[in-house]
Amino acid sequence: MILEVDDVTRRFGALTALNRVSFAVDAGQIFSVIGPNGAGKSTLFNVVSGLFAPSAGRVRFRGHDITGLPPERVNRLGLAKTFQITSLFPEISVLDNVRIAAQSRAPESGRVSSLWRRPDVDATAGALLEAFGLTARRDAHARDLSHGEQRYLEICVALATNPTLLLLDEPTAGMTPGETRDATALIRKVVLERALTLLLIEHDMSVVMGISDRVAVLHFGEKIAEGTPDAIRSDPRVIEAYLGGGDD
Amino acid sequence: MKSVGWRALLVFAVLALVPLVPGMSRYYLLLAFDALLFGAIAMSLDLLMGYTGLVSFGHAAFYGLGAYATAIVMERGVLSIWVCVAFALLVVGLYALVVSYFATARRGIYFALLTLIFAEVVYTVFRYTQAFGGSDGIQGLPDATLLPGVAIDTPLRKYYLVLAYLAVAYVVCRVIVTSHFGRVLVAIRENEDRARFLGYNVQRYKMGACMVSALLTGLGGAIYPMRSAFATPDLMLWTESGEFIISVMIGGLGTLVGPVIGGAFFTILRDKVSSVVDWYFIVIGGVLIVIVLFMPRGLLGLRRLFARRTGGAAA
Amino acid sequence: MDYVLTVLLPQLLHGLVFGAALGLLALGLTVIFGLLGVMNFAHGELYMLGAYAGIVVIGVTHSFWVALIAAPILVGIVAAVTEVATLRPIYRREPLYGLILTFGLALVFREGARQIWGGDMRRILPPFTGSTPLLGMTYPNYRLFLLAASSVILLALWLFFTRTRAGIVVRAAVQDAEMLDGLGVDVRRVFTLTFAASGALAALAGLLLAPVFTVYPQMGVEMILLAFIVVILGGMGSMGGSVVAAFVIGVAQSLFSLWMNPQRVAIAIFGIMIVVLIVRPRGLFGREGVLE
Repeated sequence: MILEVDDVTRRFGALTALNRVSFAVDAGQIFSVIGPNGAGKSTLFNVVSGLFAPSAGRVRFRGHDITGLPPERVNRLGLAKTFQITSLFPEISVLDNVRIAAQSRAPESGRVSSLWRRPDVDATAGALLEAFGLTARRDAHARDLSHGEQRYLEICVALATNPTLLLLDEPTAGMTPGETRDATALIRKVVLERALTLLLIEHDMSVVMGISDRVAVLHFGEKIAEGTPDAIRSDPRVIEAYLGGGDD
Repeated sequence: MKSVGWRALLVFAVLALVPLVPGMSRYYLLLAFDALLFGAIAMSLDLLMGYTGLVSFGHAAFYGLGAYATAIVMERGVLSIWVCVAFALLVVGLYALVVSYFATARRGIYFALLTLIFAEVVYTVFRYTQAFGGSDGIQGLPDATLLPGVAIDTPLRKYYLVLAYLAVAYVVCRVIVTSHFGRVLVAIRENEDRARFLGYNVQRYKMGACMVSALLTGLGGAIYPMRSAFATPDLMLWTESGEFIISVMIGGLGTLVGPVIGGAFFTILRDKVSSVVDWYFIVIGGVLIVIVLFMPRGLLGLRRLFARRTGGAAA
Repeated sequence: MDYVLTVLLPQLLHGLVFGAALGLLALGLTVIFGLLGVMNFAHGELYMLGAYAGIVVIGVTHSFWVALIAAPILVGIVAAVTEVATLRPIYRREPLYGLILTFGLALVFREGARQIWGGDMRRILPPFTGSTPLLGMTYPNYRLFLLAASSVILLALWLFFTRTRAGIVVRAAVQDAEMLDGLGVDVRRVFTLTFAASGALAALAGLLLAPVFTVYPQMGVEMILLAFIVVILGGMGSMGGSVVAAFVIGVAQSLFSLWMNPQRVAIAIFGIMIVVLIVRPRGLFGREGVLE
């Protein structure tokens, strides 16, 4: 078990965004979290990645209790996250975006010697860009990329920190069906190649059903179902939640 | 050291020859001193503002503290420049540690507010404490000595002193900006949250940037009394902080060299304007507004707009 | 007991009035920052302009009450014009520019006031004099009026923000400015109105307090510094927190003045802020994650 979400609750004032959510992800799995809008999926990611602590419950990652740890500590333990709304370094080049991520793992990072040294991570960065087809755009400013390219760059940046567990928050958001297919195949390939574990939030059912090993369904902050894609697809509670509760 | 470049060496060579220009009177040499001092301080502020994206409205406190440190040491008869500088760095360093700790704990806006508030407190303390001379400050200081028997007493020597300071400040800034630390600062400026999620302890980096900037500024403050023979509370006024900011804006955020030019330009402008007009502060405020609205990248920034460089140079 | 009544209590009441004025300023700062994303360094100057506008109106109409209505409107217009001309173009830019711009505006307003009206202190006479016996001592009537006026204003604001649609929308938008996009309102108009209204409130505070303090171009500087401390204490994004913190600071300032000279008072207030920052880094009411 690489990630254990144990009875996690998160309240914002009177609003309960997550209510006693529990599940576990095994190493090497592709685990998807789905649910209608407002179900609490992003909040779940925020709690797991350390943006805020849960109001109750615990999160365990590779045996460590990471509940309440800040994002930088969680990342250093091997958990990387992408953002639902693209979050890059806009005014610097694509290559620099990935380099700055990779450099956080260099030995100089965090030491006084970083005041005058500059670690060489060009190889790592270049390889990642290559894997996602962004090599041609390496010198462009991140903000000048197309939407699809930016989503790929998001993933490159997260991967550059050498994670064991990758959290992807709606990676295909805003992509055309064709782009979505390509992205899904690419993500699957990269995850398998690097022996990563993937925790995925997705709205697009074709993506979810296509690559997931297991699926959990959230509705109004509660987990209402969990199982294989096929089991979820035919679960009456899930169907009702999507038809009755939310949109999409 | 290779990051310093031959262009910089050339500029310093030219600056070193300035005193030989015909017609260079004592007055102009001291004006040049002020221009270079201000420029160097603006450059160290750029490390914070342009590269890390943090606006310090209390930078004058670092400057003033450095000046008072020197004044207090020299008042007691110790004239060695080395002792003054060491003491100034210590004092400013401690203050900067405290300020930067509180100011970087939360979002960027708190940095601006807290640096301002801390600086106001420092000003109040020095302005109203008789031990520091109250509103008159510490006056009538003698010249500092480089070595026993070698006083920094002529305008020429003072000029070379500030040139040495500028050189030190420039080298430090240049090295940092091209280092790993410097790249992280830029990342923090561009997207602080993302940097955190990449494993960077953002507060520590911000504190580091603030400390370096503060120490360099304090160093400048430390050598000021060696030219003026006094240290007054006015050095710590928030309006002084505003003048540092305007120098950076004129020259161009994130260019290092731009603020030096901006600082020099502004010093000369101030010298001419404030003696002529009463409404000097309207000019400053107006210039700030105009720059933000129409020339946000300053004089040098315009050049960068057209030169899309990759990787290496500061973004 | 005598001391409590004749010295402590009046000072406490004075602190509440001062706290209410600070609250108006801090509230304005919080709302402007939450909505527009700009920390308005010039807010203290809008407070100051309220007093001077009052002087002008009183000079023409000889009526304090007319000034009480006209001055905030005049300053509100100035604020609206300023917002459209200087702030609107820079909303999309990094927040650093907004800081520097409003700092420049503050300089211009301050020095402008000094040029127009001179740097010496002016007085605005209270609209009525005399005092009333209260709990064994006499309390100036105007101060009683101030207590009543601040209560009314704060109550009106509270009603606005909790009972009217516009107020509820603004309050929600302060927490999350993006939600405005989805509401189909003219965002730019909302911004201008909000800025103008905050300015008018600051001006009102300035004019109301003017008969108690003196009027001079620098009067906004001390207020804005205290307002910043209030905002830091209360936690950014918390409107209620700003008001509560304002009262804390206002009363503290007032009471400390009984026992210490102005410089020590300033340092003591600063000390309170440091202690709170150590114990509760978010401020008394700050929310984690979001704007923190």
